[in-house]
Amino acid sequence: MTHRYIKIGVTALVLVGAFAGMLWSTLREGTEYYKNIDEVMVNQQEWHDKQLQLHGYVVPNSILVKQSTLEYKFKVQNNPARASQPGTIVDVTYKGIVPDTFKDEAEVVLKGKLTPTGFHTDPNGVMAKCPSKYEAAEKALAGT
Amino acid sequence: MGALGSALLLATFVVCSYAAAISVVGARRHSRRLIESGIGAFYLVSALMIAASAVMLNAFLTGDFTIKYVVHYSDSVQPLFYKITSYWGGLDGSIMFWVFLLSVFGSIAVYVNRERHRELIPYVVATIAVVQMFFLYLMVVHKNPFTTYLANAPGEGQGLNPLLQNFYMAIHPPSLYTGFVGMTIPFAFGIAALITGHLDDSWLRAVRRWTMFAWLFLSIGLFLGMIWAYEELGWGGYWAWDPVENAGLLPWFTATAFLHSVMVQERRSMLRVWNVTLVIITFFLTIFGTFMTRSGVVQSVHAFGDDPILAKLFTGFMIAIVTFSFGLVIYRLPLLKSRNELDSWLSREAAFLLNNWILLFAAMFVLFGTMFPTLSEAVTGERLTVAGPFFNKWLTPVGLVMLMLTGVGPLLAWRRSTFKNLADQFLWPVVAGLTSATIAMLVGIPLWASGLCFALCGFVVGTIGQEFWRGAKIRRKNTGTDMLTALIGLVGRNKRRYGGYIVHVGIVLIFFGFAGNARKLDEQVHLTVGQEARIGKYIIRNTGVKVTDDGQKQMTTAWLEVFVDGKQIDGLYPARWAYRHHEQEPTTEVAIRRRPAEDLYATLGGFDLADQSVTLQLVVNPLVNWIWVGFGVMALGTGIALLPERTFAFAVARLPAEAATTTVALLLMLLVAGARPASAQQGMGGTEDTRSSFYARTPFEKQMQHEIVCTCGACGHQNLAECRKDNCSRSHEMRADLAALIDQGKSHDEIIQAFMAKWGGEEMLGAPLDRGFNRMAWFLPYLVGLTSAIAVGFAAVKWTRKAATPDGAPAPIDSALDERIDDELRDLD
Repeated sequence: MTHRYIKIGVTALVLVGAFAGMLWSTLREGTEYYKNIDEVMVNQQEWHDKQLQLHGYVVPNSILVKQSTLEYKFKVQNNPARASQPGTIVDVTYKGIVPDTFKDEAEVVLKGKLTPTGFHTDPNGVMAKCPSKYEAAEKALAGT
Repeated sequence: MGALGSALLLATFVVCSYAAAISVVGARRHSRRLIESGIGAFYLVSALMIAASAVMLNAFLTGDFTIKYVVHYSDSVQPLFYKITSYWGGLDGSIMFWVFLLSVFGSIAVYVNRERHRELIPYVVATIAVVQMFFLYLMVVHKNPFTTYLANAPGEGQGLNPLLQNFYMAIHPPSLYTGFVGMTIPFAFGIAALITGHLDDSWLRAVRRWTMFAWLFLSIGLFLGMIWAYEELGWGGYWAWDPVENAGLLPWFTATAFLHSVMVQERRSMLRVWNVTLVIITFFLTIFGTFMTRSGVVQSVHAFGDDPILAKLFTGFMIAIVTFSFGLVIYRLPLLKSRNELDSWLSREAAFLLNNWILLFAAMFVLFGTMFPTLSEAVTGERLTVAGPFFNKWLTPVGLVMLMLTGVGPLLAWRRSTFKNLADQFLWPVVAGLTSATIAMLVGIPLWASGLCFALCGFVVGTIGQEFWRGAKIRRKNTGTDMLTALIGLVGRNKRRYGGYIVHVGIVLIFFGFAGNARKLDEQVHLTVGQEARIGKYIIRNTGVKVTDDGQKQMTTAWLEVFVDGKQIDGLYPARWAYRHHEQEPTTEVAIRRRPAEDLYATLGGFDLADQSVTLQLVVNPLVNWIWVGFGVMALGTGIALLPERTFAFAVARLPAEAATTTVALLLMLLVAGARPASAQQGMGGTEDTRSSFYARTPFEKQMQHEIVCTCGACGHQNLAECRKDNCSRSHEMRADLAALIDQGKSHDEIIQAFMAKWGGEEMLGAPLDRGFNRMAWFLPYLVGLTSAIAVGFAAVKWTRKAATPDGAPAPIDSALDERIDDELRDLD
């Protein structure tokens, strides 16, 4: 009987070990920090070259597209566009197609890296949501 | 109206509490009268919820803008269909819809089982009523959908977002809800069994069918969500590991596990604790998923706004569920002891156990990944997130092992497999697997993960084919009929088993589609007019941008030509639509060229009208359509497994062998006919008379008339259905042409081609090649699955009736045959 328990124990140990090791290694490269702009900009240097998910709001009238390209330049701010204080503002660059809901005042989450010249967004790294109805109606989905 | 609705909800809550209380009291005092009263009250809850739903629908249909909820999700110009679907469009309404479904399902479950499982029923009623009470409480105190404006009600609503005005999006939530809510029924029976201590297998029999039913709808719901994401969101994929999606997937994993482990308990009386636990976990995950996506606990693109009150209420409810349910399980542990032990790891029950662990692991892993941001914030204070690649990396091997077990399980015998029968069983499936692996290698597919996936697909198909072949061979020998009849009889005899195999075929197809993902191509290009871009074997040329308007929306369409090997094979028309009143929220209309081998998928990212240049996202998605087909096959398999036990057994046993064959052959022919593009059926009707009237005779003709625009120039480009001015002879001619083409049995695309050739370029197209039709064609497998299951069911019921009336004693024959075949099937195992 004890023999059997030892076998089970060793198997379990090996499995748990392998699992933990794999989890640790994948988590190390797979994780991204989810931050608001204010949190990051307090101490910029610390965040340079770390994979970030930056949460903010598009500054009204800041979206620029280079003629005949997919290169975007825009600004995001920490607080919602209608708030009394915009909070910290960051310059953002992005190359690619933006979602339908990306526009002035939109709440966005940007995946990418912070550099001294601004935030560089990864390809397909712009996620935006529409302030009013999209959210409400998405709840139906969520209702799941 | 609002007041009536609120009053109804309040009344429902009261009746609900009565039903819960009186059932428990009745059960404890063994009072038949009290229990009956509880059941009555339980039915009354459904009646009240139906009434409340009617009030809600009425408010939407009549545009009662004193109710806030109506204002938020509807407006007066919204099409009727979306007015109805707005009922579950928002948070408050979706909770109400939840209770509505639960009350109806609960009533049906209680009605069906009230005699057979008499001892369980009062507690089933009480459990479901308590769950209903929770949601009703949420509505009454916190999220009342009938809240009205105290003063100054607006005169017009805000309307549903255009993105959600999509057919799939409208039916996706109810399908998922049905799945979610359906899981409450097994939970209620499980709890009732635990409380009463009637822990034999009878409660499992009562819930097996319900679980399968709920599982089917959950699968369909997930499928609809995927296809919506693929066709509407325009990023070229179908699954993004978003918390909202994951919430639907979690209970799917555990329900799948339950459907498998139930068989082990039935056959071997093992895993009894495990099964009860799975039912509880599944139910818990449905509630947890709802909580996760609505309370703001998990941040995502779809963040649903923080709602701390809702979060607290849900947390309380979930703690109550876990404590109560698992408390009961622990209390009943002595009764739940397994009657058998695992004899060998080379047995079918071991394969089932492994499958369960893996499914549960998958569920827990997805849960972990989804909750990771919240967890990391709680532990380290930093919000860290994990993204798609992380999930993919982990769940690819998990999925492959699961796929392998799909093939291995049926080959192993119950209790213990000897090496001799292992060799016998595994030979051909392994050959099939190796063959497909070789083919994959020759084509140049990398071994990890897609090559392995193809090999396993071959292996599983080999297993299932062998099961069908051997079973049918034995049956043919014993019944002395032909192979086809034997095959049908086989499926009819053991619907759950062979229906299950068909579901597995669907799973294989889905994995086959997933494997194609490895070769996905994705490019973003900017094309000036006349310029070309290359993706895969295709060359895409931009021929310009056109702006059209159909009165409801302005459509900007890129006209692309697709070339392969220097020959034009097709056109693609991705567009952006700006709806009236939603000009700031243009929707992306994806253009997809669907083929079994691969989809060519184009999204219009931006355009410049001045120089006609466009920015495009081009995606080549190999094998993606097999995923949709796989879901269709899965639906068919589940449908067969769900067919009523007795009817079909009777039917096949009593039927002259040839009749079954003929019927199935007929059904198959019908299916094939139905599966052909709908256009092929159109041309049949219509005499000279109707043809010359030029009013649409069929939905197809109507659709075509709406798609094609009159080119006379006098009517301002009305479409053919509308332009009926006397002086416009052109439209008359065009309609006549259309009618003639339809009568020739031409398909949609052929007609468009013919019109382009005759009436000059693409001028006559209202909207370039509407995708609605295309979509229907791809919706078909799913439809076919359902229809055929229903058709077979009806046929079975009809036969039974005929058979049952005359002598009234078919049972002995039936049971004799029953036993013989069961024996043979067992030997086969």
